Amino acid sequence: MSLLSPAEGWYYKKVSKDEKMWMLIALTLCIMLFVWMVLWHVYGKQNPSSITYKTSTVEFAQLAEAYTKQNMIGVDNGIPVVRPQPNTDVFVMAEMWRWSPILVLQINQSYKMHISSKDVVHGLSIQPVNMNFQVYPTYDYLLEFKPTEAGEYRIICNEFCGIGHHTMIGKIVVIEKEEDLKKYGYENFKKAPVAIKTTTNQPVSEADKILLGEQVFTLKGCGACHKTDGTVLIGPSWKGLYGKQEKVKENGETITVKVDDDYIKESIQNPSKKITAGFEKTPMPVIPMTDEDIDNLIAYIKSLKN
Amino acid sequence: MSNTIEVTETHHEPSPNKGTIINTIFRVCDITGFKVDLRAEKLIRVNAVAAVVSLLLAVVAAILLVFTRYQPVHLLPAEWYYRLVTFHGLNALIFWIIFFEIAGLYFGSTVILNTRFCAPKLGWVGFILMVLGLVMSNYMILIGKADVMLTSYTPLKAHPLYYLGVILFAVGALIGVILFFGNLMIARREKTYGDSLPLVAYGLMTAAIIAVITLATGAIIYIPTFLWSLGLVQNIDPAMYKLIWWGLGHSSQQINVAAMVSIWYMVSFLAVGGTSINERISRTAFVLYILFICLASAHHLLTDPGVSSAWKVWNTSYAMYLAVLASMIHAFAVPSSFESAQRRWGYNKGLFEWLSKAPWGNPAFSSIILAVIGFGFIGGTTGVIFGMEQTNIIVHNTIAIPGHFKGTVVIGTTLTFMGITYYLIPLIFRRKIVGMGWAKWQPWLFFIGIALLSISMIVLGQLGVPRRHWDATFSGGPFTYNFNPAVDFFWTLMMLGGSLAFISVIIWIGIVVTSVFFGPRVNGPQDMQLKISPLAPPAKSHKGFEAPGTLVLTLIFLLVFLALFFLNWKWLAATWNVK
Repeated sequence: MSLLSPAEGWYYKKVSKDEKMWMLIALTLCIMLFVWMVLWHVYGKQNPSSITYKTSTVEFAQLAEAYTKQNMIGVDNGIPVVRPQPNTDVFVMAEMWRWSPILVLQINQSYKMHISSKDVVHGLSIQPVNMNFQVYPTYDYLLEFKPTEAGEYRIICNEFCGIGHHTMIGKIVVIEKEEDLKKYGYENFKKAPVAIKTTTNQPVSEADKILLGEQVFTLKGCGACHKTDGTVLIGPSWKGLYGKQEKVKENGETITVKVDDDYIKESIQNPSKKITAGFEKTPMPVIPMTDEDIDNLIAYIKSLKN
Repeated sequence: MSNTIEVTETHHEPSPNKGTIINTIFRVCDITGFKVDLRAEKLIRVNAVAAVVSLLLAVVAAILLVFTRYQPVHLLPAEWYYRLVTFHGLNALIFWIIFFEIAGLYFGSTVILNTRFCAPKLGWVGFILMVLGLVMSNYMILIGKADVMLTSYTPLKAHPLYYLGVILFAVGALIGVILFFGNLMIARREKTYGDSLPLVAYGLMTAAIIAVITLATGAIIYIPTFLWSLGLVQNIDPAMYKLIWWGLGHSSQQINVAAMVSIWYMVSFLAVGGTSINERISRTAFVLYILFICLASAHHLLTDPGVSSAWKVWNTSYAMYLAVLASMIHAFAVPSSFESAQRRWGYNKGLFEWLSKAPWGNPAFSSIILAVIGFGFIGGTTGVIFGMEQTNIIVHNTIAIPGHFKGTVVIGTTLTFMGITYYLIPLIFRRKIVGMGWAKWQPWLFFIGIALLSISMIVLGQLGVPRRHWDATFSGGPFTYNFNPAVDFFWTLMMLGGSLAFISVIIWIGIVVTSVFFGPRVNGPQDMQLKISPLAPPAKSHKGFEAPGTLVLTLIFLLVFLALFFLNWKWLAATWNVK
């Protein structure tokens, strides 16, 4: 009689035996599910952490960059490789569209990973072990991971973060013993090298500038969009870029400019002013850099001749 | 059924000679005997039509998306893929469902209460706002100014008109909900029903209350976000945005559940003359929805920073699963209402004669039974398991999540709404159904299609495949990754399921449009193709179990749930340690 007013006395009708039974089973199940989650915090080994630090995108980017610079042991596909000591703090940065750094971890050791984003919301998804966490800008999520199986893992992004979302893929390597590094081509990576120091009174040689520029390229994540071997990814390739006549769009008009120091500097500091024709759909974000960084980067781009 | 009303008139055109308001604004249905406010009927019709248009937009996008994710075809370029994911989500989950629900609310508050519509002009204002919102948002998406997904997590930013479109739609819907309460007040004051609201109206009232809660505590986030997109607000905290947005996104699904369960009870009544075997229990279950559903936002924050585990456990479980308990109560109460009625009609042999002798030729009936099965076995089980704090780690943001809500919103809500439409065509649009033969197997095709789609998405997600991802081969990235080779099989299955479901929806839309616009008119009970059953005779005696068949079915459901439960936790226990 669901379309009509219920029959008289409906409120006092006795509940049938089977319905009572089912409700009792259902209630028991509900309470069991609740208790299960609580107990897993006591006995289980997989529990999302409750520790979050409030940060800013600039602060976290500085922390992560300094950390990577200090602990970098090499570069894999334009992404710095870091081998952290067990039980130390590790900084993992998500940005459009890369995960940095690549981590070399020891099996059955714990690492305190600080995870945050430089721009939009991302999703940290470790495969094939399939563990997934949300990554926000301005929140530093501290998760203590202990890998229990050796092998090569990927970090993919599973929260939509813009047109290059599908290219956002990083790497974690879990090793049992030193020899395992060979499997990944990391055997020649040494302990973290000391970053080339520049002092104000000593002029830096052009060769050093190129090396420093390459380091900026790696640390700032330019390689997520720009390749240096001529292939076009999300942004124009840097190979043979310097000195080239480039068609760009400024205020909707297409003009031709020469790629020189000033143009590169402007493109870094104000990327949406002139957009290279053909890349209108993937405008470049503003990436904070010092004048020194930019100088070195220009030297590096210059060195990438055809 | 007509025993409550004196059927005096059976004409459709208001007759000026009778002169009274009653005669000019009402027609008395010659099939059900209900008094139908003609102004409400018009509003029900236009809202239903807008719903069908939205569904068409949604499924056209859906089929393109299926063939993009199916890697051998990989149809759309990246930008159009993300654009259409946004478009599909908005049209399917918001426009189709809410337009239909507004139609349902107007039906439930006027027709079945024999009452008049409180403010029809305002009803039109609401409708026009909703249409305006639909056009505005869809336009902004299609011109590429709102590639932000349905969730539009900040700091991804869309064009201000996109947010404004959603706001207008929400305001229009809110007006509709308020009018629903206005109608209830009139009905109560004018005593147009007995002492208590009929169960269907009660369930719809639950849906309306939850709608107000979710619009007021969730949709409200669009206002600061709109101001932010205009540059008037500096910053929208991304975690706060997500917390509040899901107060809309998830809690509003309980509007659908409440509306859907109400329709289940309604079809039980229409098809076999049944009702809940204990209305007090069913109504209490509806109240549980209202009380606990507002906690559901937590389901989306389980692997997020910013909230503690204690907060997560309490909220994700709706305070010890009391909203789940409500659904489990309905899981028994709905099938048992069919069983009990069928047994009283004499289909009393064994455990399942009531089911085998059920009116399977009635497409509304088969839709509802399939919706109950799909909602429970696919959507319900995965919903509870994925919504537990720790197991969420292995599915969060994977394609298993849309797989889960294909089980709830698509098989559950959409199939239910499609099913009840087979009754609405003759009763509200006064047309005969054209293509009854097609209508009989359309629900089955839809069920099989979405079940395949949904189950393969769930498996793919368990294997780590991300949702909302243009290219799972990561072309252009610094590394590649190959998922477990089993994924190829499930991608194919998903493509197949998606195609079947698409065909089924197109058939349904074809039937609806042809019937409504070109179908022969209904001139009385003789033109009714779907049976409207008289009330089932009262039970002779009452010993032992009232619905033993249903009890067995629910116990099978329990076993399936427990199996899936342990599989997922076993899988979780095999992953790395994290704390």
